Amino acid sequence: MDHVVSIKGLSKRFGRIQALNGVSFDVPAKSIFGLLGPNGAGKTTLFSIIADFLKADAGLVEVLGINTLNISRLQGRLSILPQDARFQRNVPIMEQLVFFRLLAGSTRKQAEEEVIHSFELVGLKSVAKRRVGSLSHGMVKRLGIAQAFLGHPEVILLDEPTAGLDPANARQIRDLIKQLQERATIVVSSHNLDEVQELCDHVAILNRGNLVLTGSVDEITCADREYYISLSRPLQDSELEELSLIEGVRSIKSQPATVAGQGKCSAEYLLTLDLSGKNAEQDGVIAAILRTVLQMDITPRKLTEGRSLETQFLEVTGGQTEV
Amino acid sequence: MSLKTLTFKHIRLISLYWSRFAVRSGSGLVYLLVALVFGLSVAHVLIMPVEQFIIQQEREMGAADPQLVRNTIISVGGPIAQWILGRKTMGEIVEESAERQRAAFGGPGGMAEVSPQENEYKFDKWTGFLLEEKPALLSAILLVLLFGMPFVISFLAYNQVSGDIQSLGLRYLLLRTERSNIYFGRFIGTVIFSTIVTAIIVATITFYLGARIRIYPAMALVGWAARGFLALSILMVPYIALCSLLSASVRSPFLSLVLAKLIIAGTLIVALAGGIAWKPARYLLYALPWGWQSQLMHPAPLHWISAVLGCLAYATVFLMLGYYRFEKRDL
Repeated sequence: MDHVVSIKGLSKRFGRIQALNGVSFDVPAKSIFGLLGPNGAGKTTLFSIIADFLKADAGLVEVLGINTLNISRLQGRLSILPQDARFQRNVPIMEQLVFFRLLAGSTRKQAEEEVIHSFELVGLKSVAKRRVGSLSHGMVKRLGIAQAFLGHPEVILLDEPTAGLDPANARQIRDLIKQLQERATIVVSSHNLDEVQELCDHVAILNRGNLVLTGSVDEITCADREYYISLSRPLQDSELEELSLIEGVRSIKSQPATVAGQGKCSAEYLLTLDLSGKNAEQDGVIAAILRTVLQMDITPRKLTEGRSLETQFLEVTGGQTEV
Repeated sequence: MSLKTLTFKHIRLISLYWSRFAVRSGSGLVYLLVALVFGLSVAHVLIMPVEQFIIQQEREMGAADPQLVRNTIISVGGPIAQWILGRKTMGEIVEESAERQRAAFGGPGGMAEVSPQENEYKFDKWTGFLLEEKPALLSAILLVLLFGMPFVISFLAYNQVSGDIQSLGLRYLLLRTERSNIYFGRFIGTVIFSTIVTAIIVATITFYLGARIRIYPAMALVGWAARGFLALSILMVPYIALCSLLSASVRSPFLSLVLAKLIIAGTLIVALAGGIAWKPARYLLYALPWGWQSQLMHPAPLHWISAVLGCLAYATVFLMLGYYRFEKRDL
């Protein structure tokens, strides 16, 4: 099966708000698929419809070839980390997850082993006997991830899995997601565009309920033949003109690095190149540019191919910064 | 919407988990406390005068005459039982009581012990069955519990799903089982918990009557207590189902509780108060089991079997309406 999740013409309205408007895209098998969009773009609504928490006004969702209106046929094959869903406060977390496994048909002993294993994966084994009320926000998030990883789901939906986690835990979860890619297709929504770019191989960008961009991350970020070179100082006009005269350079511009979001270091300046020709020819042009820059007594610090996902995101969503 | 998706194993797991969770979540504890306080208070109010009467008899005559105690209970409890069973109005009872007192004492005065010969009450068959054939004191307690427990049950049943709809907690379950299993499993879990609490209340009262009051044969007490327990347990089912419907219809557990209280109490109050001014208003009692629930204690099998079937029919209607709402709604 090429696509494990197939969404066709999905629409959902809450009163006057059109949360989703004819959204269609496919999620390839064994991919890590990123779902991006500003706040209110419809990401959580889309997740909720895929999981049949919400009923769509129009459209069709198929997961593993099964219409999600028959969601029971996906029991054990589809799991989700829902956003903002709360666990029961007065029941030990171990017992809650064991209950989930009992529903899946495990014996109590099997269920306990599976839950302990899942807790080990997310670093919660030491608090297995505790109740949700005594866990930190990050621990609760990891508990949600643990329940999503329980069993052997073929498709996992993770709604902002690293939100609220410290960097070490976020890294751990990202590594875990990458490991799971071998046996499951994972759809992730995230506020962290760098994270999505690092983690995902495909993305869809939603804006105000509309799908504005979808494709592989490589396709999206390398759609334009642009390169970025971080420099140790800004270029003067004469230097910029000299570089623009190099054969194969279609356009060139210099700006502070933070403007384009290529880095946060205030001492870096960015040279944006738009080159013509094929890859091999472009390599020659880049080498010529770097030689020239060095001759100008400027240190090139980093060379990046393609536009960042953030740049693309800002462009297609009209510059909204909240994701 | 299809009930074909019901899975016995899931319903069993969910109902047992939910019964245990009811205690942990607090609502079960609140219900246990309120139901115990209510049940034992009712028993206390009805048993205390009898205990005092027995003590007075022992003081005056060295020992209490069980038959005399039983007759006194019947003469005092008879009018109340007739009112609860709807056999007489309060006005008729007051008038009859005044006439009886005039005949016995030559005018209004205090209550006195009644000898077997003096017990001239002519009860209808139903009241006679409850007071003369069965242990009257236990019958009186059961009748009051039958009347009062519907007010209490909503403390347990109001939050079957609404809290988890509000907190989105159901989302962890929805990909693991059917909505139908969640809805009916929690309903059954609530019924189980309610039945356990009812058993505790009835067993405590029966034990006390047998061990302390000792005016009825033990087997008669136990047998009648078992019947009362069944009547109370079955009566709770439609009220729990009504709470299920409300819980599935609103997102706020507090609103669900308020609605349950308003509907259960409001139906009775409007029907009784409205019935004074406009008699057909009394038919509102039949919107809930209020209109016929005391038939659960009727001597004729046709009556109490009909009452049981009525309870189950009302429960089915409420449950199916609630399930329809729960199945279709956004969670």
